[in-house]
Amino acid sequence: MSTSQPGRASQSNNSGPESVPSSRPLMDSLEDNLSEMLRRLGASADIVVRRLDTEAGLPMAVVYIDGLINTDIINQSILQPLTNMFLQNEGKEAKGSTAEQLRARLLPIGQIQECKTFESAFSMLFEGHTLILMDGNKAVLSMDTTGWETRSINEPTSQAVVRGPKEGFTENLRTGTSLLRRKIKSPDLRIEEYKIGERTQTNIAMVYLKGITDDQILEEVRRRLNAIQTDAILESNYIEEFIQDGKWTPFPTIQNSERPDAVAAGILEGQVALLIDGTPFALLTPATFFSFFQSSEDYYQRYDVASFLRMIRILSFFVSMMLPALYIAITTFHQEMVPTPLLVSLAAQREGVPFPALVEALVMELTFDVLREAGVRMPRAIGPAVSIVGALVLGQAAVQAGLVSAAMVIVVSFTAICNFVIPSQVISNALRLIRFVMMIVAGVLGLFGITSFLMFLMIHMAGLSSVGVPYLSPVAPMTPRYLKDVFIRAPQVLLKIRPKLAAKQEAYRQAQISKTNPSHDSSNKGGQSP
Amino acid sequence: MNKFYLLVSKKWHTALCISLTAVLLGGCWDNRELNEIGITSGTAYDWNNNKWTITYQVINPLSSSGTMGSGGESNTPPFLTFTTQGASIMDAISHSNMTSVRQLFFAHSRMTVFSENLARKGITDVMDLFLRKPDARETVNVFISRRMGRDILDQLMQTSKNQGAGIQLMMQQEANLSSYYPGIRMFELAVNLASESHCATIPEIKLTGNEIMDSTQEIEVTDLPSRLELGSLAVLKNDRLIGWLSVKEAFGLTFLTNQIHSASISIPSDPKKGEVKDSSFSLLHSKTKVKPKWENDHFVMDVNVRGGGTLLQLSGDVDLNKSGEIEQLEQNINKEVLAYIQESWSALQKLNADATGFATLVHRKYPRRWKQIKAAESWDKEFRAIELRPHVSMKIERFGLGSKSFKSIENE
Repeated sequence: MSTSQPGRASQSNNSGPESVPSSRPLMDSLEDNLSEMLRRLGASADIVVRRLDTEAGLPMAVVYIDGLINTDIINQSILQPLTNMFLQNEGKEAKGSTAEQLRARLLPIGQIQECKTFESAFSMLFEGHTLILMDGNKAVLSMDTTGWETRSINEPTSQAVVRGPKEGFTENLRTGTSLLRRKIKSPDLRIEEYKIGERTQTNIAMVYLKGITDDQILEEVRRRLNAIQTDAILESNYIEEFIQDGKWTPFPTIQNSERPDAVAAGILEGQVALLIDGTPFALLTPATFFSFFQSSEDYYQRYDVASFLRMIRILSFFVSMMLPALYIAITTFHQEMVPTPLLVSLAAQREGVPFPALVEALVMELTFDVLREAGVRMPRAIGPAVSIVGALVLGQAAVQAGLVSAAMVIVVSFTAICNFVIPSQVISNALRLIRFVMMIVAGVLGLFGITSFLMFLMIHMAGLSSVGVPYLSPVAPMTPRYLKDVFIRAPQVLLKIRPKLAAKQEAYRQAQISKTNPSHDSSNKGGQSP
Repeated sequence: MNKFYLLVSKKWHTALCISLTAVLLGGCWDNRELNEIGITSGTAYDWNNNKWTITYQVINPLSSSGTMGSGGESNTPPFLTFTTQGASIMDAISHSNMTSVRQLFFAHSRMTVFSENLARKGITDVMDLFLRKPDARETVNVFISRRMGRDILDQLMQTSKNQGAGIQLMMQQEANLSSYYPGIRMFELAVNLASESHCATIPEIKLTGNEIMDSTQEIEVTDLPSRLELGSLAVLKNDRLIGWLSVKEAFGLTFLTNQIHSASISIPSDPKKGEVKDSSFSLLHSKTKVKPKWENDHFVMDVNVRGGGTLLQLSGDVDLNKSGEIEQLEQNINKEVLAYIQESWSALQKLNADATGFATLVHRKYPRRWKQIKAAESWDKEFRAIELRPHVSMKIERFGLGSKSFKSIENE
């Protein structure tokens, strides 16, 4: 069945440094085509070549890559008709070329294309298509027989919610687009596909709603995608780094999400979603600073609860950023700010601690980051051991040994917990970096340093933008009408207009009056004019 | 391209230099770790044999470190005191660095004590120090002690580990609940001494016994033989101690200066049957208005005290349902308050110290006349001539559930 030619494969290995093959048309002879193909593909064990040499004088070969195809389709829809054809020897009486006949009558397969060059043939082959090479034909037929193993749709692991859809994107691009289609059943939903990465040829889908997403933003995203010239795209972060705005900032300007509902919500607000084959994380752009504090669950529970939780998140952001720094600044520079009993108790704890507060905090924060990293990389079975070691040995024992003060352990652990509250991983990771800078600044300059650094951060953030949208909008530039969904989550009836950040126009997403007085009008007619 | 790069790098260099300079210049010069500072909770200033004696009370953090793994409460005292001497205040202060391991930190200081000796000599030097020193707090409560100030600082308090804060709390409680006299903070003292009347009052802090409880073993009893207590009220005129007011006289002064928060006043339920103060009235709010008037050749002070409160305790045969009984009781209260005020006034006149701040009132009302008084430096004379016309009107707003005293019910 399969033929492997090690001799030719070695030739291709020595074929020179030029790695990117130039476009080359197919040849007439089946043998020539086949040998060229095998030379290029080398001796890879997963290449299957099925020759169908018959007495009828119509040599053919079926080529596919094992593992990427669905064997059932190949057996039933390709090999069976072809072998039958030779049995019945129908080829003689039929009109037209063999290729046309095959396509028109014989092969019960949805997608059949013709490829004229080796390159297009290869790219089809690698996508799980099956090629039929025929003698005397300058084209090969490519049939969609894709059927590789995929993961089933699972609950998202990184962005779990209590209430809300439990489905997450998988590594399969098509599954991703289908999940979005299922959420937004509108003919305006557009999916544009790109192939990026010279070697990986990764499929990337750009999903948006026509008529809602701002054309300038679309154009800019397209331009940035087309400008990517790289060897490989293995995960969405590759794309993110290529298309993001500020290169020198810890703040993410592109959102990522594992949740189709979150992505659909973004698309409905005018954001552009990028799905990348091989990764369950979709990208959403443009993203503002405050969009990282919105969790999709905010919209699945009552607005008052959601608003409270969102405010807690924003508070935790500041706590997580500044608590160790404030502790350092206040205990080493501004002792007069602490109430006396607390100061005495802090002083008592610091009795015998050999390090300055700054060093103490840095050591503990670093230790925590090490623990956290270890916990992430640990196999599930020994994961709990890390937390036990972390909590007991490093917490309790370090205090008892007099290496750190108990208050510092509280500060560090509370900081860490606050860090976990933020729904977006990227921004909490950014925070980890900022925190260290903040601590050093606080250790050198005290509260003065914290204030100056905060000012610096604010200036920096105000200068950032994401695909043309100011990073701090709608707070800076201030647009009060969009503030309903920033620090709080206003009731749905009040969230009438789409935020104009990315949307073309501030279209109403609800009828003007979606609430009618039941005592006057029980039939609940929406859209009454006032 | 190259030019652009140079431009950018020059910019960056400048920025780097500026920020480095900022950090190095503004950097951690005033950084002090918690375990390098001695948190001072109180100071005492004495003047003996032409020498300044300064005592510091430094909180001992070790005594409150229950969690440090050393196991339970330690026996070390909650604070430590040490004394330095010197020819001038700064001399004494700089001596403190020779005895203390830690840099003294005054921002949490709660009280300061002047000894009587010092107060008689004059407190200007200390006041100046407090107002000038950057880390001294003008909000410290000021006290006067008839003994050495350091004796007060040595004394341990029960239920308060931080004795300085404890004394301050004691003062605040007293001012709020019984209002015999208000506490005074350093800046208030400065304001009062600098005012037109140049007089101020400072409460006395004293030990009830002769022994000083300064060992942790000694406070392991429920009833200390010696405690800290607020005593009488010292009157200062022109920064010098000139005399004392008793608690009763101080109480009257508090009425005169409108500083009553709440107080309890004991009254006789029936003045005809003798002066036994068998009932008590809890004053919940009171307001004093003083109006100066010039009559012929002297000032008259119209003092109007209005207040109200609850009848807390009632003895004797009183039936509040009878008409006139409540009014009678109110009359008794008024008489009582009047007596306090009169007593206080005569004491002040005897001292010739305008602790009531009447000078300011006169200045406000009669600025022209005040100019003359000031030019002639005759306020002392005018003050002695002041005629006080106090009017007190107290109201019993509530008297509890029974209209009769329990005693009279019992007798029925």
